[in-house]
Amino acid sequence: MFRGLRKLISVLCVLLLLSGCWSSREVEDLALYLGLSLDAGKPAPKEKDLERKGARYPKQDKLLVTIQVVPAVGAASNEDKSLEKSSPFFNISGSGDSILQIFRQFSIRLDRPIIGHHLKVIVISADLLKKQSAEQLTDFLLRDNDIRPSCIVLVSEGEAMDVLVGTPNKEIPAVALIGMSRNRSRTSKVMRPVTLARLDAMIHSRKSFVLQRLITAGKETLFSGAEIIKGSIGQSIGSLEEEDTMCLTWLRGEGDRGVIKVNDSKGEPLVFEMKSLKSKITPHVEGEEISFDVKITTTGRIIETWSKGDTSTTQEYADEASKIFEEELIRMMTQLIHKLQNTYAADVAGFGDQLAIKYPSVWKKVKDDWDERFSQSKISISYKLSITDFGSFSEKK
Amino acid sequence: MFTRTDDKITSSQAAVFLTNTLLGAGILTLPRNVTQTMETPDAWLTILLGGAAMLGIVLLMVKLCLQFPGQTVFQYAGKIIGKFPGKLVGMILILYFISVAGFEIRTLAEVTTFFLLEGTPPEAVVLPFIWVGVYLVLGGINSIARLFQIVLPISILVLLVSFGVSLRLFDINHLRPVLGSGIMPVLRGMKTAILIYAGCEVVLTLVAFVQEPKQAVKAMLGGIAIPIFLYLLTVVFVIGCLSVDSVVTSTWPTIDLVRSFEITGFFIERLEFPFMVIWLMQMFCNFSSFFFQASLGISQIFNVQLRPIIFMLAPAIFIATMLPRSLQDVFTLGDTIGYLGLGMFFLLPLMLSLIWMIRKKGTKGHV
Amino acid sequence: MSSLMSFVPSWHIWVLSIAAFLVPFLLSKIFARVHDFIKSGGNFKTASAPSPSSSSVERMPFSGDYAADIRSVLHVIGENSDLVIRKFPMSKLDAQGTLFYMDGMQQQRELNMRILEFFMFELTRDMLSIPFNGNGLLPFYTLKEATDAIEFSRLVLFGHAGVIVEGVPCGLLIQNPNTSNRAIVEPLSEALLRGPRLGFTEVLSENTSMLRRQGFSEQLEMRSYRIGNTLPKDVVIAYFKDIVNADLLKEVEARVSNIDIDFLADSGYIEQLIEDNYLSPFQQLQNTERPDRVINGLLEGRVAILQDGSPFALIAPATFSMLLQSPEDYYERWIPSSLLRMLRFFAAFLSLLAPSIYISFISFHPGLIPTELVLSIIETRQGVPFPSLIEVLILELAIEILREAGIRLPKPIGPAMGIVGGIIVGDAAVQAGIVSPILVIVVAVTAISSFSMPSYSAGITLRLLRFFGMIFAAILGMFGTILFFLLLCSHLSRLKSFGVSYLTPVSPYRLQDWKDLFIRAPISLMKKRPAMMKTRQERRQT
Repeated sequence: MFRGLRKLISVLCVLLLLSGCWSSREVEDLALYLGLSLDAGKPAPKEKDLERKGARYPKQDKLLVTIQVVPAVGAASNEDKSLEKSSPFFNISGSGDSILQIFRQFSIRLDRPIIGHHLKVIVISADLLKKQSAEQLTDFLLRDNDIRPSCIVLVSEGEAMDVLVGTPNKEIPAVALIGMSRNRSRTSKVMRPVTLARLDAMIHSRKSFVLQRLITAGKETLFSGAEIIKGSIGQSIGSLEEEDTMCLTWLRGEGDRGVIKVNDSKGEPLVFEMKSLKSKITPHVEGEEISFDVKITTTGRIIETWSKGDTSTTQEYADEASKIFEEELIRMMTQLIHKLQNTYAADVAGFGDQLAIKYPSVWKKVKDDWDERFSQSKISISYKLSITDFGSFSEKK
Repeated sequence: MFTRTDDKITSSQAAVFLTNTLLGAGILTLPRNVTQTMETPDAWLTILLGGAAMLGIVLLMVKLCLQFPGQTVFQYAGKIIGKFPGKLVGMILILYFISVAGFEIRTLAEVTTFFLLEGTPPEAVVLPFIWVGVYLVLGGINSIARLFQIVLPISILVLLVSFGVSLRLFDINHLRPVLGSGIMPVLRGMKTAILIYAGCEVVLTLVAFVQEPKQAVKAMLGGIAIPIFLYLLTVVFVIGCLSVDSVVTSTWPTIDLVRSFEITGFFIERLEFPFMVIWLMQMFCNFSSFFFQASLGISQIFNVQLRPIIFMLAPAIFIATMLPRSLQDVFTLGDTIGYLGLGMFFLLPLMLSLIWMIRKKGTKGHV
Repeated sequence: MSSLMSFVPSWHIWVLSIAAFLVPFLLSKIFARVHDFIKSGGNFKTASAPSPSSSSVERMPFSGDYAADIRSVLHVIGENSDLVIRKFPMSKLDAQGTLFYMDGMQQQRELNMRILEFFMFELTRDMLSIPFNGNGLLPFYTLKEATDAIEFSRLVLFGHAGVIVEGVPCGLLIQNPNTSNRAIVEPLSEALLRGPRLGFTEVLSENTSMLRRQGFSEQLEMRSYRIGNTLPKDVVIAYFKDIVNADLLKEVEARVSNIDIDFLADSGYIEQLIEDNYLSPFQQLQNTERPDRVINGLLEGRVAILQDGSPFALIAPATFSMLLQSPEDYYERWIPSSLLRMLRFFAAFLSLLAPSIYISFISFHPGLIPTELVLSIIETRQGVPFPSLIEVLILELAIEILREAGIRLPKPIGPAMGIVGGIIVGDAAVQAGIVSPILVIVVAVTAISSFSMPSYSAGITLRLLRFFGMIFAAILGMFGTILFFLLLCSHLSRLKSFGVSYLTPVSPYRLQDWKDLFIRAPISLMKKRPAMMKTRQERRQT
């Protein structure tokens, strides 16, 4: 009895050891990709050579996918690596019709399997977004089990793969982008990051939305403006400038940072630094007519002025200056509202959400062609800007 | 007596037992299930209403059980509706428990192989899990209750921390408008909201084990209040952070919630790790509870020893686990179990109580 | 119908379902058998060869015939070269007497001055009335009588001074052994910064006296047992009469008196012979060198077992939380003590699971750790040729060997060895690229955590268990680690020590007992004795 049992146990142990560790893969044998960019389809430069020599499979080149792989060590057969020896990362691009298919294509080009657990940034080129809907482009990214819904989505003016090039011996571009997106605490030109989770919700709700836009020149990338995605088609219909973006963030109540610069009576710059901002959208429905009241309350300080002698710190001066700033704010906001209603006819500022909360039954009726209804609705904005202090500066009267 | 020979549990243990039996796979899928049928953000209302209904049902069950102190439903069902029908009801309950146990493990295997162990065959996940379960269940209800009491505080702590941290994504507008489409969707959602409490039939057997039957009502109501609260919290946070639109498209919305942010600079940057840990432990509790109930039922109906039954049930549960062919099957099974459970914990106690009351009145009349 | 058929699982599911039954079934059978086997080995009283005590067939009762009695004693112990025999005449009796003692076990001066003088010049016939003890006429306060030569010889050999007087039909044992002992020193294995420095020694009477000296009480009771077949030894069970639960006491007494063994070299023997579950990795009795700890245990309603020849007392029943409690918790103020205690729980967790978690992260779930961390891990692991399990095993084994070597080495070399082994070997291993620096940190933290356990035995248990955890982790990653944890918890929840569940007071919840679990509540709040002990008195201070 005992001997038989012992034999059985040893057989079981051996079986367990032989068959075990199915999913085991040492971390250093994996290639993490931190960044992913999607471009309009055309074969990547290196791919052309490969294809000429016969490395082909049937595809229509709808997409060009670039991933940023870290760390660069161990990826021996890579060209980029030999160029930038000490670079901590390398990029690899491939074209094709499906993201997963391209990913699997990378597996025959790299010595390590790629895993997406650490994907931080997805950059989509604006050109591609004009051709394909965001839903199509992110479908795989949302389904995949590796990619976390926490990675942020950006749009690039021009080629998205250029964003990931970065400068040698500097920080990994994907990580740098994440760092830049945190600068929201300094300027509202950086919008609240759109994560895959939020993108999913926005796409599914068929409402229009904006994505942060990147502009790359040379090797420098900056956050500039916003790309508007029209909800009904899911494609990009244009973009907002930096100033509009800042105003949009304020209007949505998602940020209260930024500066307003005006020229004072002498033509010298006068700068207002925002400390707090509250924005409240109140919808009104009268019959078929939908209108919105927006109340923007903001406080801040005068932080910089160039005009000589005009450095008073009195209340009168503050009132006077706040009028000038208010005018500037009105100008900026009006410009934004005009663009949203007339140029693009897309509600990306959350007017519809407020309507849905306040008048759910009305919303049900209008939600299918909301963007059109939005462009016709009346929006009146009231402003209240007050200057509370002058920085650590005080002038004798 | 210093050494306890009777297999009784304290009322706090009984409460934890019930809680752990209920908190299972539902916590991952509940927000989607409820929201899909409702399509409004009022899911939390539904959960509350469903919870209130459950409190009533549990109360009824406890009252029924207290009529037969120290006896489980398998024993007293026969006394109420006759020997043979009683056994039949017991058998249905047992089958139900086995299929729930199988369903829970299958969900666990699906989630584990999807998020943690890609490429591992589900059998390799399921088998060791069942084995450890056998070991625990062999220890009797006391050991099970003790393990539950270790696991539950950890689970609640991690759950609360996860939700607390996800506050940064929380947007109250996602939960508004309240009753925007009227009360109808809420009522429509009730069905799914009650289904997540499938498994509270264990009350029918659990009360028999409570040391102080006087406190059974309090313990059981407490035991069901904790999951109601946690489910409510889950729904509020998942919908509040992800919005209805995202929740309906997500297979495991709660996991998606903890995956949708990173706490940079913290050693555990990714909360899905602790979350998965407690969820797996919670599933283990869940499974062992049903496993125990099923084996207890068999042993009491057929008057056989508990130990061999536990060994015999292991393969049965394994096969039940492997029956669904795909994830879609699993979800269908989950729904079916829910409906069955509705009958089990709603109709069964109601029917038994009614018959018992009639019979009691009848005998009283004779006297 | 065909759609129904598609639900029928394939054959390998059926095969596996048989495994689902067989594995736990066979394992439980094996464990039950092994357990019974060990248990039967412990109780060979019933089945085994005649024990030495049965040789008393040839008892040699003293006859009263002086010459014959001397002969029979010499017959028993005459071969021993360290036996000293002194014959002396007794002037007042006009008779002969013989003093027996073992060289080195009595103080010569006292024998000369007091005893021989008394026997030779003062002893009168009246004093020699039997029984000696009852009449108490002889001026020896540790007087014992031996009625047969065997017993007499045994006690003489144990160190007593024995006298045989002409005309008296029994041997007198007049002096207890007075051998050299080691001094009382600070307990080595449980050193504290603050608290009593007293530690048990190898002498039972000294140990019991230490317990007595802890305070004035008429309730502290000690019962003595003589255990051991070839070389019997004294074992004492100590408890507070008015506190201890009678059932518990009965159980302990029954188990102790049922011990059947040749010789008890240390109280560790007793521990292993009376514990509930022989196959559990956890100790089910607590051992301690500290009298204060024993008394505290007794006051909680526990029972202590002391054994002659061992400086370790056993406290029963033991629970899991006791492994992580140090007496110092009570001597320092409650806030730092509570923090230290939680720290210890954390350390226990680390020493048990840190390597497993490392393996699961490195080999299975790189997606669960922060990006920056994963990048630095990848960099440091470049060129490590082994999978993480082997890597961890190499270093863990090295540390265990080092620790083992450190204990054996004489004190002056030990620390040097630790430095050479730990620092140089560890550093060299990293340099050589066999292990990664992160792992060195993990292993070091694990080792240090296991040393922070207040009880050495608990430390060993955790160190042993973590190897199993590593194997689980290597097969199923995080899932395996959780399974291991659940298995451990299941085991703990099933384990009992003298009828007390090992997990009390963690579960069932008793708020009252939790005051002394994760935190150490202020002493003034701990007014009640632990409920789990079911003591006769509930309140501590009345």
